[in-house]
Amino acid sequence: MNTFFKLRNYALIALMASSVVLTSCGDDDDDDVPEPVNEVEVITDVKLIFTNSNDASDVVEARAQDPDGQGVQELAILDTINLDTSKTYILTYEIFNNLETPGEDIGAEILAEDDEHQIFFSFTDGAFSSPTGNGNFDNAADPINYNDLDDNNIEVGLNTTWTTPSTMTANGSFRARLQHQPGVKTATSTVNTGDTDFDLEFVINIQ
Amino acid sequence: MFLSFLMLLSPIVGLSQSDSCNYSVRGTVLDVKTKKPIPYVNVVVRGANRGTVTDINGAYVIEGLCSKVNTVDVSGFGYSDSSSTSNTSQGETQNIYLEQKALKLKTVNVTGKLEKKKGTETISQIQMGQAELSIDPTRTLASAISEQQGVSFTSMGSNVQLPVIHGLYGNRVLVLNNGMKHGFQNWGTDHAPEVDIASASRITILKGAAGVRFGPEALGGAVIVESDPLNLRNPFNAQVGAGYQTNGRGYNSSLKLGQGFKKWSYFVNGSFTKIGDRETPDYVLTNSGKEENTFGAGLRFYSGNWDAKVYYSYVNQNLALLRSSIAHSGTALTQAINSEEPVIIRPFSYDIAEPNQLVQHHFAKAEVSWKNDKVGKLTMRAGRQINGRQEFDVRRNSELPIIDLELSTTDYQLDWKHKPWMGLDGLIGVQYFYQDNNNNPGTGTTPFIPNYNTDRYSAFLIESKTFGKNIIEAGVRMDFEINSVRGREVNQSIFRDEYDFANITTTVGYVRELSEKSSFRTNIGTAWRTPNMAELFSFGQHGFKTQFGLLRYYFNEEGEVRTDRVVPIAESEIEPEVGYKFINELEHKSGRNRHTLTAYSHYIENFIFNRPYAVISTIRGPMPVFIYDQADALFIGFDYSWNRSWTESISGTLGISYLWSTNMSKNEPLINQPPISADYRLTWNQGEFWWFTASKFTVKPRYTFQQFNAPREVPPEDLIDGTEIITNDSEIFDFKAAPDGYFLLDLTWQFELNRLSGSLSVNNLLNARYRDYLNEMRYFANEPGRNIMLNLRYRIGANQKGS
Repeated sequence: MNTFFKLRNYALIALMASSVVLTSCGDDDDDDVPEPVNEVEVITDVKLIFTNSNDASDVVEARAQDPDGQGVQELAILDTINLDTSKTYILTYEIFNNLETPGEDIGAEILAEDDEHQIFFSFTDGAFSSPTGNGNFDNAADPINYNDLDDNNIEVGLNTTWTTPSTMTANGSFRARLQHQPGVKTATSTVNTGDTDFDLEFVINIQ
Repeated sequence: MFLSFLMLLSPIVGLSQSDSCNYSVRGTVLDVKTKKPIPYVNVVVRGANRGTVTDINGAYVIEGLCSKVNTVDVSGFGYSDSSSTSNTSQGETQNIYLEQKALKLKTVNVTGKLEKKKGTETISQIQMGQAELSIDPTRTLASAISEQQGVSFTSMGSNVQLPVIHGLYGNRVLVLNNGMKHGFQNWGTDHAPEVDIASASRITILKGAAGVRFGPEALGGAVIVESDPLNLRNPFNAQVGAGYQTNGRGYNSSLKLGQGFKKWSYFVNGSFTKIGDRETPDYVLTNSGKEENTFGAGLRFYSGNWDAKVYYSYVNQNLALLRSSIAHSGTALTQAINSEEPVIIRPFSYDIAEPNQLVQHHFAKAEVSWKNDKVGKLTMRAGRQINGRQEFDVRRNSELPIIDLELSTTDYQLDWKHKPWMGLDGLIGVQYFYQDNNNNPGTGTTPFIPNYNTDRYSAFLIESKTFGKNIIEAGVRMDFEINSVRGREVNQSIFRDEYDFANITTTVGYVRELSEKSSFRTNIGTAWRTPNMAELFSFGQHGFKTQFGLLRYYFNEEGEVRTDRVVPIAESEIEPEVGYKFINELEHKSGRNRHTLTAYSHYIENFIFNRPYAVISTIRGPMPVFIYDQADALFIGFDYSWNRSWTESISGTLGISYLWSTNMSKNEPLINQPPISADYRLTWNQGEFWWFTASKFTVKPRYTFQQFNAPREVPPEDLIDGTEIITNDSEIFDFKAAPDGYFLLDLTWQFELNRLSGSLSVNNLLNARYRDYLNEMRYFANEPGRNIMLNLRYRIGANQKGS
């Protein structure tokens, strides 16, 4: 075999070797762990806060908690809503992911994207003097006293007003459902439009 | 009907020189009838990966062959393929007269001249060439091969489709791209192999356990995609392609070029595809388009005993998933499933919004082989793949990917095809395989799949012995795999696990020529597979399912399921899947008929599957939950095909695929198994027609039955309102009954006008409304309706087609 052929073979061996080296560069056995994240999707704690519109110190709170978020542990409704008769309350929320320390305020994110969200309500018929009826689950046009509007002038529901009648209600039901409606929220969208972020049913007593 | 006869004159000259690779073949290809030379037909030396194209005088020469005995395959558009074997040592001039045949395009099944990979000779297999693949170059790999008996696909809409072989899919079917295991996020039903079929020159589907040769995971079979063979002495050739389809208003274009010289060759290819929203007969499938760019190149140097090849390819995809398939709550899921039409329908658009997947796949490979008369052939391959995947979901932070992974895969393979020894032909190899998966930060959600590293060391041996026309083949493989896993729990605390598996894979097969007309092949293969990362570690919501991997749930002392910690694999009862596949094929040819019956049974220990487990109450309302589970499973089935040439130019093939499967541990059906299907393909090969130089019509009616062996139906609302209570011992169920059977009619016309070739085809000609059991979108929407496709290719330079 002449020199040329030898050289040629060496060249091929070099090519083979270089391919090994090339592909070896990233082969360091790393031990990296995914970086911690701020979990922005999970909701573990929702608190309904009813504040007497005439007395800011008169506050009724009702909590719901799913401590393991996406895990299989069951949701717990921790409180009953106990309101007084013949009073007007403003309903607001605290919505948190407490799997994080400190907890992540999901309520602030919902407010930032309020044109994609709306809260709907369902309650024992006639439990309130205003709104009347049983809420806007069955018919989205039914009365609810929304105090907030998004950029498209559509109701949001992070702030609503509730007036109790002089008659009492025992063991009634109060259900609030936050719908996430990206691209599909309209003036006529309903409780079944989009996807549910929370859907919580509390026992309500008006006494 | 115009008939033409092809004659191959092959005076073959043996050059007896000291260098063993100095044999050559030369000759002229002539038309028997006209006695005129035929230019631009492919001439390939079988097994040597060497070929050329005849010149303007019909002459060819292929030099540098290492074997004295050479079989030459000749294929030219408009002529029937033919082959001739010559022994150059005799130095005789041989005139080979070919059988009289009608002028034809290539037939669909090229089983007559299968070039089988070592270690798979006794396994039932099918090959597809470029002619079939180019009818619709925009479809997925899985869709392209699903025309074959025993092969189907499971999908998540029109863009994400995974091959299913005899009921198995995902990482039970190995996808081998250019000799390397395709390194991608192979879990769930929503991740398809990123392989561009437009650049493939040949696809081989192995229907038996092919793990010994190609590595673990090939329980169900393997799909082998080969790109340009880089033939030497190949005149410059280029092909420009373009196409349009009515459904989705999609368009595509492609370019291929290549050239082979005496010592080296190259090819370059690229393609672009854009498809908008697909449409059913009644409505638009909102967000179902795709965009894909691909690039590929290869270079080969050849020098006597040495042969070196380098390949690179790149695939970039943006794949839309149906907007209406997203449901994060039980109520939304109920509504989406019960709705006649998808809950969100918007006017047609090319836009791709969430949910969608962005994928970039880089593939690089170098291969060097060395041939020596005394030793045999040594081949070294080194490959590196980088797969970047981002998935976007409909959610509050939809601008952030919900999954953002980078997977790098490194492969080294060294194999030795030894020269015949004591009548044994064999292949011995060692392999090292390494994968490194990392989560990119910035998803705003706990990683669904952890970071991991997998190291696998393997060695295999395959030997075969030929007795006359009978072959016995046996092989054994050993693998040792080490895994290291690091992930985050939802409270962001770190979990780690390390585990390894060692396993042996075996295969034994036999091919017997029963008579002149009949042959029989049989193969028993074992294969195994480690549970994949999604099966072990998935946690929480992905798509419309909330699911828990095998290590993410456990039962407490009260027997209640808990998900608050990650179980170390050493504490669990998890075992790798082990499969035993017994496959037999009987082929009988008589006159104009050819019958092929493939029957198989496949038993899999510790088969891993996803099943509904319970409904839990969450902040979002009641949610159905799925878990991964293991059980022993059995698959029994057959594929039958009957090919008959009705006339010189009209032939038909009847195909039937049947599969029955069961969960043996619980004696209940498995979910998402392919239903029975039957089709007939009638082909009219006209040859010259009108002003076309070649023309072929194909009509393909097919009927897919309802899956009678599906789990019972339990709608989600029955779970939510407590009508149906699911416990650990409950029978498997599905949210929706298996869809009705359906009938589809497809038409294809392939034609050639000198350098221009193309196809006009209509899929779902009758615009049938149907849902496919293996498409997860069957819960939400119908399949696309009628689609008319026109694809054209223009050749510059010499003819270059797959052989």
